[in-house]
Amino acid sequence: MAVSESAISTPPGGRGLSLTSKRILRHLAILATLLIVWELSTRLGLLDELTFPRPVAIVQSMYELYLVQGSIWWHLFITIAEVLAGFAAGSALGIGLAIIVGLNPLVRRFLKPYVIVLEATPRIAVAPLLIAALGFGWSSKVAIITLVCFFAPFVNTLSGMLNVNEEAHQLFRSLGANKRQIFMKLMLPDATPIIMAGLRLAMASALSGALVAEFISANEGMGVLLKRYTASLNMASSFACLLSLTALGFLIFRTMEAIDNRVVFWRKDERAATVGRRRAAAWHRKMGA
Amino acid sequence: MNAVARPVEREETSAGAETVISGRNVGKTFGNGAVVALEDANFDIPKGAFVSLVGPSGCGKSTLLRLVAGLIERSSGSLTVHGKEIDGPHEDVGMMFQRATLLDWRTSVENVLLPTEIHRKPTKADRQRAIELLTMVGLKDFAFSFPAQLSGGMQQRVALARLLQTGADILLLDEPFGALDEFTRERLNLELMRIVGEVGATTLFVTHNIGEAIFLADKVMVMTPRPGRLAHVVDVPFARPRELDLQQTPEFNAMVAQVRDILGEH
Repeated sequence: MAVSESAISTPPGGRGLSLTSKRILRHLAILATLLIVWELSTRLGLLDELTFPRPVAIVQSMYELYLVQGSIWWHLFITIAEVLAGFAAGSALGIGLAIIVGLNPLVRRFLKPYVIVLEATPRIAVAPLLIAALGFGWSSKVAIITLVCFFAPFVNTLSGMLNVNEEAHQLFRSLGANKRQIFMKLMLPDATPIIMAGLRLAMASALSGALVAEFISANEGMGVLLKRYTASLNMASSFACLLSLTALGFLIFRTMEAIDNRVVFWRKDERAATVGRRRAAAWHRKMGA
Repeated sequence: MNAVARPVEREETSAGAETVISGRNVGKTFGNGAVVALEDANFDIPKGAFVSLVGPSGCGKSTLLRLVAGLIERSSGSLTVHGKEIDGPHEDVGMMFQRATLLDWRTSVENVLLPTEIHRKPTKADRQRAIELLTMVGLKDFAFSFPAQLSGGMQQRVALARLLQTGADILLLDEPFGALDEFTRERLNLELMRIVGEVGATTLFVTHNIGEAIFLADKVMVMTPRPGRLAHVVDVPFARPRELDLQQTPEFNAMVAQVRDILGEH
């Protein structure tokens, strides 16, 4: 076991490493060329500086925003908090409701038409209505994101609940399992991959939802900041905001991916091998004690 | 009416062996009687017997298996296990299906422990037993592998170990190796015979392969479709342990032909 572990942790010789670094260098060179061309075209007047601020100016305003003024941190925090709160509420509602609906054929029959109608409604179109109802503060933003984050987890969880492997279900019944055991030991873990896929979709749309909500009407948040800078034609700062949002989006995507890999470990060979080794160790400890 | 195809009313049980599963005029219809899945089945299965159920699709063999498991309710007749009428899933039987139906998020040994977990918290002895069973099916080194890391044949071996972990004395196998390639299937059939012999369980084995049905069994229940009927019970006289080349003997082939005749008449 120790042998296989060390085989995984050590990269196979130095050749692979130099290949990666070569690739990184090549990409950096392309990026640098692009940035230089952009910078020069603006300086030479080929690009309108008003719409295409120079990369150097964007970096300068990044520095200004983050290290000199610092108020962008607060706006970032607001947007992230809205996204997390809305995501948590929306996915909890979606998953919870889907489980109830999935386990009760009767509820399913009565609820289905409403779900279909709601699903056909463009979510963002409801945003102004929610703002009218809940005001300009954070609660309307969270409500909009909740709505945006509700459907993917709901639909996916429901399909997970309804598509339980029939033979596995019979197996559990023949073993004398009760409803709770069938749910906890079969249906829920079986639906986890598709639920996670729904959560990833929801999270991906949460940030966009937050920004649209903030565009419509808000006092703080990255959407407000971006709109304010664009309105005052401070394009360098607008681009700095955009870059920050890109970084945030990337971070969210990567975090969700990492969580997915951990939760649904059996779908990834490497993770499965690691978890298998860990469980083997735990087993032997238990049997030895 | 051909002499071979005498409809079986009451199969005489071999002297001395206690009857474990017994059916009298067992019938099952679906859709308020619109579809007759099984009609008037009469049979007695003695303790420790290996019985194959063979027939084309729609002959009611899987229905009969699920009736014995208590997964579905019979529409008519009487069906007993150990002398008790079946009225729902019960602990005397363990099931195995064409697909291994392992839980992907559990290692082999955790899958084997599932039947125990349903009833109580597994003890150290249960865990030891699970490892022993995995050793018995030749998967000791894969106890902590996940199903996705195993081949189809290995997955069915885990399913077999899980089946044995139930401790049930009646094993219900629904085309357990039907999805595997010919070679793997033959090897697993041999192992199945050995293991079932060691455990001494009464086995009902559903298949649509006549050769396989005869090769494995002490008795072959031949079933015919539309409506599902138990047409004939053939006793298989070949001594155990059986080797694969038994299937090349004239006696074996004569028996295959006999079963084919019964099926062909309906």
